[in-house]
Amino acid sequence: MIFGEVTLGHYLALSSLLFLIGLAGVLLRRSLLIVMMSLELLLNAANLALVAVGRFQGLPDPQVAVFFVITVAAAEVSLGLAILVAIFRIQKTTAADQLSTLRF
Amino acid sequence: MRAYTPYLILLLPLLAAVSIRIFLHPFPRISVAVSTFACLGSFLGSLGLLLLGSALGGVAAPSLPWVEMAGFRANLGLMGDPLARGMATLVSGVAFLVHLYSIGYLEKDPSRSRFFAELSLFVFSMLGIVLADNLVSMFIFWELVGLSSYLLIGFWVERPAAGAAANKAFLVNRVGDFGFILGILGTWALLGTFHFSEFSARVGEVPVGWGVTAVGLSLFCGCLGKSAQFPLHVWLPDSMEGPTPVSSLLHAATMVVAGVYMLIRVLPILELSHVTMMTIAWIGGLMTLLPALIACQQNDIKRILAYSTLSEIAYMVMAVGLGVPGPAMYHLMTHAFFKCLLFLAAGSVIHGCHGEQDIWKMGGLGKRMPFTALVLLLGTLALCGVPPVSGFWSKDAIFAATAHSPGLAAVSMAAGFFTSFFMLRMILVAFGGEPKNEAARQAHEGGIWMIAPMAILATLSVLSGLFPVEKFLGIPPEEGHASWTLWLSLLFALAGFVPAYRFYRQAGHEPLNFSILRHKFYVDEFYQRALISTQDAFAKVTDAFEGWVVRGFLVRGSGVVARASGQGLRLVQCGQVQVYAGLFILGVFFLLGWLWRDGWMR
Amino acid sequence: MEAIFFWALAVGLLVSATALVAFRNPVTNAVCLVVALVMQAALFITLESFFLAAVQVIVYAGAVMVLFLFVIMLLDVREEARRRVSWPLLVGVVGIGGGAVFGATKISSLFPSSDKILHWGQSGGGGGAKELGRLLFTSYSPLFLTTGVLLLVATIGVVVLCRKDPEV
Repeated sequence: MIFGEVTLGHYLALSSLLFLIGLAGVLLRRSLLIVMMSLELLLNAANLALVAVGRFQGLPDPQVAVFFVITVAAAEVSLGLAILVAIFRIQKTTAADQLSTLRF
Repeated sequence: MRAYTPYLILLLPLLAAVSIRIFLHPFPRISVAVSTFACLGSFLGSLGLLLLGSALGGVAAPSLPWVEMAGFRANLGLMGDPLARGMATLVSGVAFLVHLYSIGYLEKDPSRSRFFAELSLFVFSMLGIVLADNLVSMFIFWELVGLSSYLLIGFWVERPAAGAAANKAFLVNRVGDFGFILGILGTWALLGTFHFSEFSARVGEVPVGWGVTAVGLSLFCGCLGKSAQFPLHVWLPDSMEGPTPVSSLLHAATMVVAGVYMLIRVLPILELSHVTMMTIAWIGGLMTLLPALIACQQNDIKRILAYSTLSEIAYMVMAVGLGVPGPAMYHLMTHAFFKCLLFLAAGSVIHGCHGEQDIWKMGGLGKRMPFTALVLLLGTLALCGVPPVSGFWSKDAIFAATAHSPGLAAVSMAAGFFTSFFMLRMILVAFGGEPKNEAARQAHEGGIWMIAPMAILATLSVLSGLFPVEKFLGIPPEEGHASWTLWLSLLFALAGFVPAYRFYRQAGHEPLNFSILRHKFYVDEFYQRALISTQDAFAKVTDAFEGWVVRGFLVRGSGVVARASGQGLRLVQCGQVQVYAGLFILGVFFLLGWLWRDGWMR
Repeated sequence: MEAIFFWALAVGLLVSATALVAFRNPVTNAVCLVVALVMQAALFITLESFFLAAVQVIVYAGAVMVLFLFVIMLLDVREEARRRVSWPLLVGVVGIGGGAVFGATKISSLFPSSDKILHWGQSGGGGGAKELGRLLFTSYSPLFLTTGVLLLVATIGVVVLCRKDPEV
């Protein structure tokens, strides 16, 4: 094997890198649509870590947790996109830096 | 069954009061009957207990536990010892006669029902004080008596003066009650019991010191308020704004002597401290003289009697202070009869003169109201202690006790002199001479309801001196009667009639003028001034406090702080959702780092 | 064998995720997301979680992505304004990225038993629909039912949010 054996640490490192990339997307991108896609990346990073830990520790329960995370993510995406559409109707934009009505 | 008789005696008037208040209010005749018969029932019950009980020994009524805590126990209980039995009989008997009198006196009053309900409430509370077997129960009824006194003084709600007098009575009594409740708690601290019957057994274990004196004086404070002794005496003359039967029953015969009764109950505690006893004796002694002097210059017939009441109660207080409860109770009983009689007679005069109370506007009533004049004269003789009428015997017993303290003997005998003076003045001005106005000219006697109670009370006033009160009350009679006090006091009392006759035989107007007496030694004015200036100063201080600390610092200050911090924190709010998310992530990283440092992830 | 799959999928996943964050055209982003999600599903398979892999493809790559694409079409979202890329920024990004790789491996090695090796077929199953279903309908059934309520609430919320007239 070229890169040696795959350990739990590999999966966790991959998961944390994925999380960091998603985080960068959430923090840096202006379009709320992309921000939401990045959020999905964050959830996926967490899912990956869960499944990896569950498998290497021989536990089935993290998989159930991931199942629920996916369900909740689906609900979250649908609601988030609905809000996005509603915001777009009123403000005519989805750029996060232009939506600053919360400011004083 | 006999053990429950005190409860029956106590609860009958309460039942009457409640049923009148709830059901019988619209039917005055039924209300009056219910109230009167309830009082009669109480009287018969107490009389039976008095007559049978002394033959059968003490009757202990079962008591109910009320407050039970670690280190603190208070019961609600009644006792039927000889003192309670005698006092209950006296109270309910006089109250019954006053009920009868009120039927005639308030014949035309539309709110008779209310009056009788309140009267029944009073009888209930007063019997409660008398029958209570511990200080806590007594205090409850003590307050109830204060309440019914307040209600009855202010019975004529349409008169502002009555309302003011009721308030004054209530507030002044609060001051006394505050001391009383301190005394009750102090009693628990000293003796560990509230029960009267356990006092004498436990006082032996109490160390003598300032604590005992403080407790004794606090308890005496309660007596000062309820029995209207100096310096809390100011409410009693004002309470004469109430209907005359009320003045007669509450503010002369029964309620105001509750303080004396209480003192007798707690006497074992008071006796522990010489200072307490001397204070009580001297306040009593001086209070015999001061009101007697004031009464010499008063014109309102009821106020004159009110001041004489103050003076007479002071005799009882003095007797307690001298350590002789027997004569005090003896005088309490005779005083109840003759003072009640005097007030009822005064009420009869007022009733006959259509509400006129100024003696200088009466005159010539002797011819038009011969019966009232007769009973008033009998009452006066009793009050002044002229033998062989009852007051002579009881006052003599008290004077005998002063034999060893000449100072007290002097002031109390001087008080006797002035008592005779102002009583004869009152009779001569109101009943002698010619009628001064139309009302006096048309004066007439009241109906049978008013005459009968006065006749009974007159008989009792004359004969009750012969009643062997000590035997019935279970108090050992005093030994060693000094005869010089008898003759001297009699001399003083009779001497008082001479100047009164000289000055007022044919007087059409006041021949003497002492403005200090007319203004009651300026005590009211002093309170007025002192209270107003203190209150003003206090108000200024609190206003400054309110303005600077509350309004300036707390209210405005907190507002300023909140606003300033809001202004500062507002700058953090950029409205950019991603900045918030970044801060949130930073927080998460910070927390994770913290956990990792503490070894959570290792 | 496991290593080849892992590295291929890992690199693919990271590249597609980076592309998602980097590109400005929303449709490109969406495609990148689909790729990333499919890579993730494949990673689930290397972890022997077959059922989850299927769910990932169906729910994420299917339903959620369709939703995203619908919204992109509906809103007619245009490309974002170009950011000015300066050398310091680029150096910063590269530096932060390198630091992140280093930090991620470091932190991951701190996890207990992070050096554990498990070959395929050694984990004793547990990733199929049967095993997961048994857990879901026994010990996690209250949670499962609650999820149903959550989805219902989400549906109602979406309907309410997307009404034409906000009043009523």
